[in-house]
Amino acid sequence: MSKNKDTFINMVVSLFVITIISGFSLGYVNELTVGPIAKGKIERKVVALKMVLPEFDNNPVEEVIMLKSASAKDSVEVYPAFKNGEFVGAAVIGSTEKGFSGLVKIMVGFKPDGTIQNIEVLEQKETPGLGTKMKDESFIAQFRDKNPSTFNVKPTKDQGNVDALTGATISTRAFGDAVQMAYDEFMLNNSSIIALKN
Amino acid sequence: MSQPIIISASPHVHSSKTSKKVMYDVVIALVPAFLVSLYVFGFSALLLTAVAVISCILFEFLIQKYLLKTEVTVADGSALITGILLAFNLPAGLPIWMIVVGSLVAIGVAKMSFGGLGFNIFNPALVGRVFLLVSFPVQMTMWPLPDGITGATTLGIIKEGLMFGNTMTDISAQLPSNMDMFLGITAGSIGEMSALALLLGGVYLLIRKVITWHIPVTILATMAVMTGVFWVVNPESYASPLIHILSGGAILGAFFMATDMVTSPMTRKGMIIFAIGIAVITVVIRLFGAYPEGVSFAIIIMNAFVPLINKYFKPRRFGAKIKSKIV
Amino acid sequence: MAESVNQTQNFLKGIVKENPIFVMLLGMCPTLGVTSSAFNGLGMGVATMFVLIMSNIVVSLVKSQIPSKVRIPAFIIIIASFVTIVEMILEAFVPFLYEQLGIFIPLIVVNCIILGRAESFASKNNALSSLIDGLGMGLGFTLALTILGATREILGNGSVFGFKFVPADANTFILFILPPGAFIALAYLTVLFNKSTTKTT
Repeated sequence: MSKNKDTFINMVVSLFVITIISGFSLGYVNELTVGPIAKGKIERKVVALKMVLPEFDNNPVEEVIMLKSASAKDSVEVYPAFKNGEFVGAAVIGSTEKGFSGLVKIMVGFKPDGTIQNIEVLEQKETPGLGTKMKDESFIAQFRDKNPSTFNVKPTKDQGNVDALTGATISTRAFGDAVQMAYDEFMLNNSSIIALKN
Repeated sequence: MSQPIIISASPHVHSSKTSKKVMYDVVIALVPAFLVSLYVFGFSALLLTAVAVISCILFEFLIQKYLLKTEVTVADGSALITGILLAFNLPAGLPIWMIVVGSLVAIGVAKMSFGGLGFNIFNPALVGRVFLLVSFPVQMTMWPLPDGITGATTLGIIKEGLMFGNTMTDISAQLPSNMDMFLGITAGSIGEMSALALLLGGVYLLIRKVITWHIPVTILATMAVMTGVFWVVNPESYASPLIHILSGGAILGAFFMATDMVTSPMTRKGMIIFAIGIAVITVVIRLFGAYPEGVSFAIIIMNAFVPLINKYFKPRRFGAKIKSKIV
Repeated sequence: MAESVNQTQNFLKGIVKENPIFVMLLGMCPTLGVTSSAFNGLGMGVATMFVLIMSNIVVSLVKSQIPSKVRIPAFIIIIASFVTIVEMILEAFVPFLYEQLGIFIPLIVVNCIILGRAESFASKNNALSSLIDGLGMGLGFTLALTILGATREILGNGSVFGFKFVPADANTFILFILPPGAFIALAYLTVLFNKSTTKTT
């Protein structure tokens, strides 16, 4: 094994060569993957939107509306859905800080009259085995085809219509809060969302 | 030189005090609290305690005899105490298989894996309890009330109320009175019900010199001072020190769990630091954490510091020079 | 190390005798952090194995060109480049796994196994031996992580590789999919592993 000597110039050259080679190869791989990464991100959003919205043929991701809202820190994202130029509903990102461990973020799909089409949980840090059950089909099914104007999204403990998750009243309340917030934003801006298309 | 040299750990003091006797003193001290739980919960408290005790002893026996193939030492009473303390930290009506799992974790994981009595770092009963609490949060927080319905503990009611912006004045209507908490008519684990019964047992242990006052008194005093400061500053958002001390596992933990000889420091100075740590962590969990109660977590966390505390606060060696006043 | 290494033994040592997880206890951070399910353990294992093999090969090829005083920074650059490549490829083509593994992918850079193998094996052996060493160590690592992940998933969630074998509302030991469960499971698996391997050899 004839090792390169520890001279200053040797060290500089060898490190320089290694960094150059790794820099170029990283650049090359980045070229290859940058497209699929961006595409994948949009696709995942579209998949989530398809889960919560009625059938649509526009691209809600591109037409996203950022609403300034009094009830949330950031602006609220609204994804409007159209089919054959007709407004079929919108997905609203509802969130609350009142979860058992803070942020609960959900995507609620509404039909034009405010009836809930479906809900997807985007982010939550609730207790495993308790609050995390808010993702379960049996819990979310309670909200489907219900209109928050007649269906109180609070748990039954607070005179609402939602059967609370066992041992996770706080998570259930937070979930209800997030749904209510999404609903309020949707109803408040209903007309302006529809008007947007034309 | 044919005689074998007996090597044992310090202190090399001869007394009739054996670990067996100490263990049975602890059992006697736990009797009043057990009677209260029998009175309040009846058969289910008896069943819970019996299952926990029998499975703890059985697991210790099986592990020593068949897995480790060492001398069987179940007669020293330590598994009995682990069983009782584990049961005392569980809600009445917990499914039997969960009690058995808790006992297996307490004896198998927390005690035998570390080398048995004297080598365990963490209090076995508490490890079993925390394992169950984290694994089965639903069943472990269903507290049967004396009248048969399930309800939240005092601390649970406070935590949930405060999280939804209620003030202590709103919440206090739902809370049991301080007298009820003192006597033991509240929701909670079967052994933490009655402050009075636990104090009786604690005093017995003090008189019998099984424990010294340092750990329990420091824990309760530090908790009182800390919660008192918050309470004085903002009585609407923080419960009074009296509620904090009488509710939950504060007294049970201070007298019976934190004082466990194996998992607490050797010197008095060390004990006081250990106790302050427990109190501070408990209060922080209760006031700012996700769980309403934090005594068991606090004791386990401080258990981990015991070797370190012992290293810095060594007992004075006999004959060593006294530099300053004796602690 | 001049004479030819017995390649079978070279390969097997990473799996059994010098298993990086159960015997050498290296790379504990991803081991404890990502193994909440069998699939995550497998994914992390494969990602690490790729980096390990590639860095072993490259290090053994360039070993004589690098002055020994700067060998550690040189190795780190090589390793970090492969990790970044893995990260980009995962994000582009396996986004699900990318999200699950999260911060632990970039952390492969500081996994002691990889630098350890580069320093103690690849920098002294030829490319073929280094490749086989990386393969063996990588497989040992992957195997350990998958077993640990599967154990935690079975106990904590009642499923293996996402296939649930208990009713949805059954009580499982949730503790095992939380961080403390990782420590407990790893400890007992290490005992079992060492018990069974010392008996056979």
